[in-house]
Amino acid sequence: MSLEIRNLHARIASNGTEILKGLDLVIEKGKVHAVMGPNGSGKSTLSKVIGGHPDYEITEGDILLDGTNILGMEPDVRSRNGLFLAMQYPMEIPGVSNANFIRAALQARLPEGEELEATDYYANLYSKMDSLEMDRKFTARSVNEGFSGGEKKRNEILQMLMLAPKYCILDETDSGLDIDALRIVANGVNSYRSAEVGMLVITHYQRLLDYIVPDIVHVLWNGQIVRHGGKELALELEERGYDFIKEENAA
Amino acid sequence: MSNTLEPVATQATESVFTAGPDFASHPEAFRASQSAAWETFSSLPMPRRTDETWRFTDTRKLSLDGFVRAEAVTDAEQASLLLRSKGLGKTSGRMVFANDRLLVCEMHGEDLRAKGVLWLPLEQAIAEHPELIARYFMQEKTVLGSAKFAALHASQVRAGMVLVVPKGVEISLPVETFHWLSGENASVFPHTLIVAGENSKFTVVDHFASAGETTGLAIGVNDIVAGAGSKVTYVAIQDWSRSATAFHLNATTVARDASSLALRLNLGGAFVRDEAVSRLRGPGGRSDMLSVTTALGSQIFDQRTLQVHEAPNAASDLLYKNALNDTARTVFTGLIRVDEGAHKTDAYQKVRNLVLSEEAEANSAPGLEIEADDVRCTHGATSGALDEDEIFYFQSRGIPRRVAQQLVTFGFLSEVFERIPDADLAAHLSDCLHGKLG
Amino acid sequence: MSTELLEPPTSVSPASQIEIDRSRGDFVYPEQHEFDAGTGLSHATIDYIVDVKKEPDWIREFRHKALDTFLAKPMPTHWASKDLENIVFQNIRYYLANAKRPTRSWEDVPDDVKKTFERLGIPEQERKFLAGVEAQFDSEAVYSNIKAAVADQGVIFTGSTEGLIKHPELFKKWFGKVIPTGDNKFSALNSAVFSGGSFIYIPPGVKVRHPLQAYFRINAENFGQFERTLIIADEGSEVMYMEGCTAPKFETATLHSAVVELVAMKGAKIQYVTVQNWSNNVFNLVTKRAIAHEEAEVKWIDCNIGSRLTMKYPGVVLKGRKARGEVISIALAGDGQHQDTGAKMIHAADETTSNIVSKSISLGSGRSTYRGLVHIPKHLKGCKNNTECDALLINPTSRTDTYPAITVRGTGNSSQHEASVSQISEEQIFYMMSRGLTEAQAMSLSVNGFVNDLVRQFPMEYSVELKRLIDLEMEGSVG
Repeated sequence: MSLEIRNLHARIASNGTEILKGLDLVIEKGKVHAVMGPNGSGKSTLSKVIGGHPDYEITEGDILLDGTNILGMEPDVRSRNGLFLAMQYPMEIPGVSNANFIRAALQARLPEGEELEATDYYANLYSKMDSLEMDRKFTARSVNEGFSGGEKKRNEILQMLMLAPKYCILDETDSGLDIDALRIVANGVNSYRSAEVGMLVITHYQRLLDYIVPDIVHVLWNGQIVRHGGKELALELEERGYDFIKEENAA
Repeated sequence: MSNTLEPVATQATESVFTAGPDFASHPEAFRASQSAAWETFSSLPMPRRTDETWRFTDTRKLSLDGFVRAEAVTDAEQASLLLRSKGLGKTSGRMVFANDRLLVCEMHGEDLRAKGVLWLPLEQAIAEHPELIARYFMQEKTVLGSAKFAALHASQVRAGMVLVVPKGVEISLPVETFHWLSGENASVFPHTLIVAGENSKFTVVDHFASAGETTGLAIGVNDIVAGAGSKVTYVAIQDWSRSATAFHLNATTVARDASSLALRLNLGGAFVRDEAVSRLRGPGGRSDMLSVTTALGSQIFDQRTLQVHEAPNAASDLLYKNALNDTARTVFTGLIRVDEGAHKTDAYQKVRNLVLSEEAEANSAPGLEIEADDVRCTHGATSGALDEDEIFYFQSRGIPRRVAQQLVTFGFLSEVFERIPDADLAAHLSDCLHGKLG
Repeated sequence: MSTELLEPPTSVSPASQIEIDRSRGDFVYPEQHEFDAGTGLSHATIDYIVDVKKEPDWIREFRHKALDTFLAKPMPTHWASKDLENIVFQNIRYYLANAKRPTRSWEDVPDDVKKTFERLGIPEQERKFLAGVEAQFDSEAVYSNIKAAVADQGVIFTGSTEGLIKHPELFKKWFGKVIPTGDNKFSALNSAVFSGGSFIYIPPGVKVRHPLQAYFRINAENFGQFERTLIIADEGSEVMYMEGCTAPKFETATLHSAVVELVAMKGAKIQYVTVQNWSNNVFNLVTKRAIAHEEAEVKWIDCNIGSRLTMKYPGVVLKGRKARGEVISIALAGDGQHQDTGAKMIHAADETTSNIVSKSISLGSGRSTYRGLVHIPKHLKGCKNNTECDALLINPTSRTDTYPAITVRGTGNSSQHEASVSQISEEQIFYMMSRGLTEAQAMSLSVNGFVNDLVRQFPMEYSVELKRLIDLEMEGSVG
């Protein structure tokens, strides 16, 4: 069981610029993969393409979720099939409360005609919020509106815990977090690690990987995975910077 | 108190255009003003698109032919309409009208009576308080284009609510009125007259709805006179049938340090013309003019507003939000006018249109006329579709596009309700909006 | 009629090459017109003009029809200023000219006319940075020259009469097509009695590096100037056109009613710069519109300082995919003036974008009005409009109005409109005065700060001049 990316080529729909140029990656259940890379290497594109963002076009390749090709699926169908995307810049949705938003997402997973049980829902929501040290007032506030950077990231992880996905893509989850917030978010993510869940952590800095320790580290450069290694590869990148990767691949 | 007035026989088959004034059971003195209003109505031409106040409106489609005076509803229908008159959970008093006849007028608790509040049906006020009527009833000129229809209202009016709150009195729970329109081609002329005494504070809620999906005509007028230091909240929830033609003409005057907040929720109607005028008469006054409209199917909402700053140091803040789908059209023309000498005016005007379909059309014309130099006036108009990134965010959580669109639309519109201080009332407005958006 | 001769200004700063200062335009020379259509307007007036100009029959017919349209159309006073009613059309002289064809050499220009234009800074301008110049004195061009290098590229730059006679195939194709005769009462009037103005054709791919320029001068009292300009920029070409206008102040009001049509073919770029500084008894009622084809760009840069009443709403019809239209305007309404300006953007193709930035300053009893029209019809995709209009009020008697109208249909388009009205804060002025500036200097600095971002969009020579003009206007307004 895995999320498998095969020879993926993707370009920006509006101007045709190719960003991903034949990317291969297999995220098995029970494993945490990290993708690291310099700015502009295609990290954020990767997460959006997996999620099905309309800004990108796939020109070649496949993405298989437990063997099923998801490329033709709408983003919401992918989500209901067990995929979760924690975004680098979560959207602000004025007028839609956080509680109603998550509730609508859970409701969408139920068969037609079945109603979400409100009491259970709130009990579940509050316990997850407590684990992320989120104030109860966040249930009534509009989704991400006026949230600090750290609050938005915690809210992403809250949604992840509530929706219980099989595969999680965490895109630059550490950006905008101070050390305390980083610890809380990482604890939330770690609490969700299990043999039933595959994770892909996308990050520029090694810092996050001190807290969410990966099983495998990949280096993304110019739209392709150019190197694999254990968690020590992240430390090496931190020490030497990305330049040596660039030199190796320029040669 | 419960009070049912005898229905007055009318010639139901005759068009309201030709029938002459409707004297109902009004006393002689008032009949003269009705006759005069009828003269005015007859002498004024129907609006044309080339009139500045009717710009963007397809006036050829605007016809009052065929509408007749509404007849009293049957006992069975009365009972059913009373059951359907579901508003707020708690109110200080409630009146229900059907086809301009009072069905019920009941006080809840002692809040109104004990404090010397005058709260009564318009017909009774005309009979018993002629000085009040002479002083406050439709005293402001209709300047935004519907003078003809205002005159028709004045000549036909028989039903409505009059609320006069004495100096210093606060009413904790809202008073509520329902106006029902029933029967093919029936017409109603609901009126709401609110006079707030010095430093008084209260909330009024009007519900307008049709009994069935029939064509009909409603020309409603509402006068709000906010006395010095008073705080008036007025909410109108309009849900006429999707085949109805409706006019809602508002005139608000705001005295020194008074504050008026008016919100209109527009759900029903085939063609709905709203005109709202706020006159800031005293320094320190404030007027909030809010509107939420969902335009679906082939609905047309035609909204005209005017904020007149006659006195210095006053504030006005207008926010109109429209969500358009299918082949619906909205028109918004608004004007902030700052008279000479109205310095330190702080006026704001914003219309936001969310366009959800290819055929929907939003017209906006926000205007400013400034004759004082020390002012802060801004206006803005935006029109646009849903943000695809927002929709993607919903979808990435498994929420289908259709549901995401509903939620975003609801969020976009219901933000306006946050301006309502009364949480129960805001929740009630949300419920009504949910009812239409599904 | 005034025949007073003013002395030339004593100090001419070398930096201010283009003279658009109103005081500098406020002089007049004796009239010696060989052709004068007399006072008032009738079909006979039109025959007189056509005969004098030796125009073809199709123009005669065009003019007569236009006169009928003009007479049939009501004044637009249901929305516009009632001041329009003060124009007495029968008291105006519609055509005044000397017999000569416009000269190509400065030496051949009649001495008195030469003096006028020399005082306005022509043709030294031409030597400096212009690719061509056309100068109109009352009804007809008196001097017209285009640099050989530009002419060699096939660029045509002549007066409208010469254009319609010598280049009928180009002229007829677009003349009256961007702005039909019946567009409004004043476009009809212009179509009936037009004379002068420029005809410009830029061949495909030609990028005219230096601006082409025209000067308009009214020198006779009770006179109406009705120039007609048609600019066609063929595929991929680029051109900048600048016009300046002046008139001396007469006892009675004067009328200027031009029609300007621009055609930008695929990928072409046109910039049209106007600095209008008519004396403040001129009615300036001008219709300006452009058609922008695929990927073309049209930019109107419009500055209104003079006139009694200006009504002018430059427009762009965005007819081809990815066409772009822009209006940048500055208006300064002083005592007794009404600057009624704005912009029209008609989106008629996918992915078209438009941008309107308008800033106005009202001082004394001046009134500035912005009227905008943005239309994005259904079935278009990716259209965007952005409008910003800001008004600054200087005195308690100053007035400003804003009347935008925006129609957006469908889900693929967006528009955004923001407007504000403000004044210069007393604290700001006090702060500057506490640093040693006079009140007038402080006001000028503030006003210049208000329009600075727009002034920068004007060619340098103009922006220097604009700043100076604002300073002059401000001096009289504080006290």
